[in-house]
Amino acid sequence: MNALVDAGITGFYVLEYKGMSPQDWKGFAIKEDPKSAISLIRDYATDAMLICSVVEEERTDEIVESVMKALEGEKYTILEVPIRRIIVNYKSEVQERAETWLMEKKVPCFYCGENAVQRIRIDMNKAKIWCTNCGAARYYLIKGVEKEEN
Amino acid sequence: MAIEKWKLEKGAQCYNCGDATIHDIVVDEYSIKIRCRECGFSRFYTFHMVDLPAKSENTKK
Ligand SMILES: [Zn+2]
Ligand SMILES: [Zn+2]
Repeated sequence: MNALVDAGITGFYVLEYKGMSPQDWKGFAIKEDPKSAISLIRDYATDAMLICSVVEEERTDEIVESVMKALEGEKYTILEVPIRRIIVNYKSEVQERAETWLMEKKVPCFYCGENAVQRIRIDMNKAKIWCTNCGAARYYLIKGVEKEEN
Repeated sequence: MAIEKWKLEKGAQCYNCGDATIHDIVVDEYSIKIRCRECGFSRFYTFHMVDLPAKSENTKK
């Protein structure tokens, strides 16, 4: 991850999976039932990770180079694939925000007393506060609203 | 010892005036108050229940 960030990649996603190389695979003939396949994966597959990122074309070479440098001696495969189209769909942000607010504050916890990050989630009619240290969670319910008259 | 109220701010669309405004949020053990800085509209929440992690069950008051 550090290598990616150093290389100038700001966004990526990571998938963990089990994989087998062709050379490990060679010489195996497995029965086509799910049980055999699963046990084969359990016994022979190695942990692997798929990291995907979209980068600007001009920067590709330098990013690939620095990732290769950082991963020297490791086993890896780099695939460079052109992207023809990207469609990103966001939920209506205004709507989203009006519904739920998420906040954090590092303060002494009401329970454990530790100066730990407290997560606060406020919905229209309820709220929740929980401590990232001890896990204690407090629930609040809406009691009322008040309009100030000017 | 009285626990100090937590003070937070949140930029969000106000339920009342509909503008993107700053809301002041004050939290303590028993209540939460949220107030729009523009229109003064406030919402109040009161403490309902607490869910304690199992291991600190014995310290429950
Ligand atoms: Zn705590
Ligand atoms: Zn307002």
